[in-house]
Amino acid sequence: MTAVIETPVIQVVGLTKTYGTVRALDGLDLSIPRGGVYGVLGPNGAGKSTLFRILLGLIRASDGTASIMNGPVGDIAHMRLTGSMIETPRYPPYLTARQVLRWLALEHGIAGTADIPYWLERVGLAEAADRRVRGFSVGMMQRLGVAAALISKPELIILDEPTSGMDPPGIQEMRALIRSLANDDGLTVVLASHQLLEVQRVCDRVAILNKGKLVREGAVSELTAVGERLRLSAGPIDKVLAVLGAKGVRDGEAALADIPRAEGPALIRALVEAGIDISEARWVGTDLEAIFFTETGAVQAPETIHAG
Amino acid sequence: MLVDAIRAEGFRLSKNRTALFWSLMFVPIIMLVIGAVTNFVLKGSETKILGDEKMPPELKEALARGTLDLADALVTAAGNFANPLLLLFVLIGAATIYAGDYRWETWRLISARNSRGNLLLAKLAVVAILALAAMAFMLVASLAENLIKAAVFERTLTFGMTGDKALQFLGFTGLSWLRILQFTMMGMLAAVLTRSLLAALFVPLVFGVAQFFTPQMLAPMGVMPDAWLSVLVNPGAATDVVQAVIKGGVEAAALPDGLVLKAWTSLALWTLIPLAGALAWFRRQDLSKE
Repeated sequence: MTAVIETPVIQVVGLTKTYGTVRALDGLDLSIPRGGVYGVLGPNGAGKSTLFRILLGLIRASDGTASIMNGPVGDIAHMRLTGSMIETPRYPPYLTARQVLRWLALEHGIAGTADIPYWLERVGLAEAADRRVRGFSVGMMQRLGVAAALISKPELIILDEPTSGMDPPGIQEMRALIRSLANDDGLTVVLASHQLLEVQRVCDRVAILNKGKLVREGAVSELTAVGERLRLSAGPIDKVLAVLGAKGVRDGEAALADIPRAEGPALIRALVEAGIDISEARWVGTDLEAIFFTETGAVQAPETIHAG
Repeated sequence: MLVDAIRAEGFRLSKNRTALFWSLMFVPIIMLVIGAVTNFVLKGSETKILGDEKMPPELKEALARGTLDLADALVTAAGNFANPLLLLFVLIGAATIYAGDYRWETWRLISARNSRGNLLLAKLAVVAILALAAMAFMLVASLAENLIKAAVFERTLTFGMTGDKALQFLGFTGLSWLRILQFTMMGMLAAVLTRSLLAALFVPLVFGVAQFFTPQMLAPMGVMPDAWLSVLVNPGAATDVVQAVIKGGVEAAALPDGLVLKAWTSLALWTLIPLAGALAWFRRQDLSKE
C-alpha cells in the first residue's frame, strides 16, 4: 500500500454541525491527502456521515469551513470532480442498472454511453445490467452505487459503508476494487466503515472520530506499529528467554521480544547461532480495532490483540 | 449545465412508463372514447328525428347537410386544454418529477453533479414539456373524435383556419399551458416544502377547488368581481378574462377598464411566486433526510 501525500483533496477547519442541542461535529479539523485510500472511522454518532453530507453539499455546516478538491463546498465545478455513495443508495425503481448510470452520466453532462458497460462489469453487475433495480439486493444496490459514483470519472470518491449488506465474497471483491481504484486508476478514495478489519486491510491512512472530534489520525502502518512485538515460537523456550534477556517475556509456549522491527533479523540470526530451533516468528501489534476502542472509549469484546 | 439537468430529468421521465401513460395517454383516450360513444348515441337520436314524419322538411334538410370545420374543433380543443381532468393527470406526472427525488432518496446521487437551481429548473422544464405533450395528445384525440363525428353523421369536413382562428388557437394554447404550469408550480412548492408526493399532487388540487369558491366568499365582503383583490386571489377568473380577450368580440369589448391588466398581473404573480418560493427554499434545504 502506498500513500502519496500531496495537496489535500479535503480540508476541514473547525467544522461544526449542530442539530438542536446535539453537536454532530464539534470543531473538526481534518486534512485528507491526495492519493491512496483514506478511512474515516468512528462509532455511531461520531459524525462520519454528517461530515460526508456537508462535503457533498447535502447539508450546511453550522460553523467552520470545508473545501473539496481545492474549492469550497457547494462550488459545483469542484464538486463535480467527486463521486460519492452515501449510505445504501436508492434509485427510481423503474430504471434498470444501465439506465441509472445513463441518467447520472447525463446529469454530469456525459452524453456517451461507452463507459457504462465497463463500470457495470467492474462492479460485477454486467449480467444484471438490464434488470430493473426494484429487484436488486442491498449488495447489488451498493455495487451500483459505486458504479454511479465512478461514471463521471471523478478524481475523488467518497464511499459511506461501501460493504454494508454484502456477503463475504462481495466484501472481498469490493476491497479489491477499492484498492484497484487507488492503485490502478489513481483515484483518492475516502471511505467510512464500521468493519475495522476491512479498513485496516484496505486503507493507507485513517482518521478516528468520536463525538464529532478527531481523536486520532495517521498511516495505518504507523498506528498499528505502536506496541509491536516479535512473537517467537521457538525452543527450548528457556534458552530463547535467556537470549532475549530483559527484552523478552514468555507468552504460553512462545516468547515475545520487545524490540524495534529493524532489530528483528539480527535477533533471528542470534537465536539460530545459539542453536535454537525457530518454527515461527511474526510481528504482533495493536490492530486498528484495539486503537479504535481505546480512542473512542467504546466497550470492547475480548481478544483485542491480533497478528500483524 | 441546465441543459444537462434537463436531459437527465427528461431521460428519467422517458423511462417512467406509468407516469407517462397516466399523464399523457389516459385522458385523451377517455375523451376519445366518450366522444365516440356520444356521437353514436346522438346519431341514433338524429335518425329517429329524421324518421319522424311530423318534423318540418327544412329542419330535416338542415340536419342532414351540415359541415364540420376542423379548424373550429382545434380552437375549441385549445380552449379546453386546462380542463380539470387533464390537469389532474398532468399533475400526477408533475408530482412524480418534483417529489420523486425525495421519495426515492435520490437527491444524494445528483446534488453534487449540478447546482440546486439547475436541478429544480430542469424539473420545471420537463414538466412544461410534459404539459405540452399532454396538450398535443388531447389535440390528436380531439381531431380523431371529430373525424369519427364526421363519419358517423356523414358530414363534409372542412378546414377553414383563418388568421384570426390561428391566433385564437395559439392564444388559447399558450394560456392553457400557462394555467397548467401554474398548478404544477404549486405542486413544486408543495413538494419542496413537504418532501411529499401526495402533497405535490393534492395541494394544487385543493388550491384549484378553493379558487372556485373565492368569488362566493368575497361577494358578501363587498369585494366586486373586477376588484384587484378578487382578480389577484383568483387566477382562474384572471384566465377567463384573458380568454375573453383572445376570443374577442362582444365579450372582450364588455370587459371593464383595467381588468385585463389585473388579470395578467394575477397570472404573473401566481406563476412567479410559487417558483421563487420553491427555488429559495430548495437552495437552503437539508437534503440528507429525503
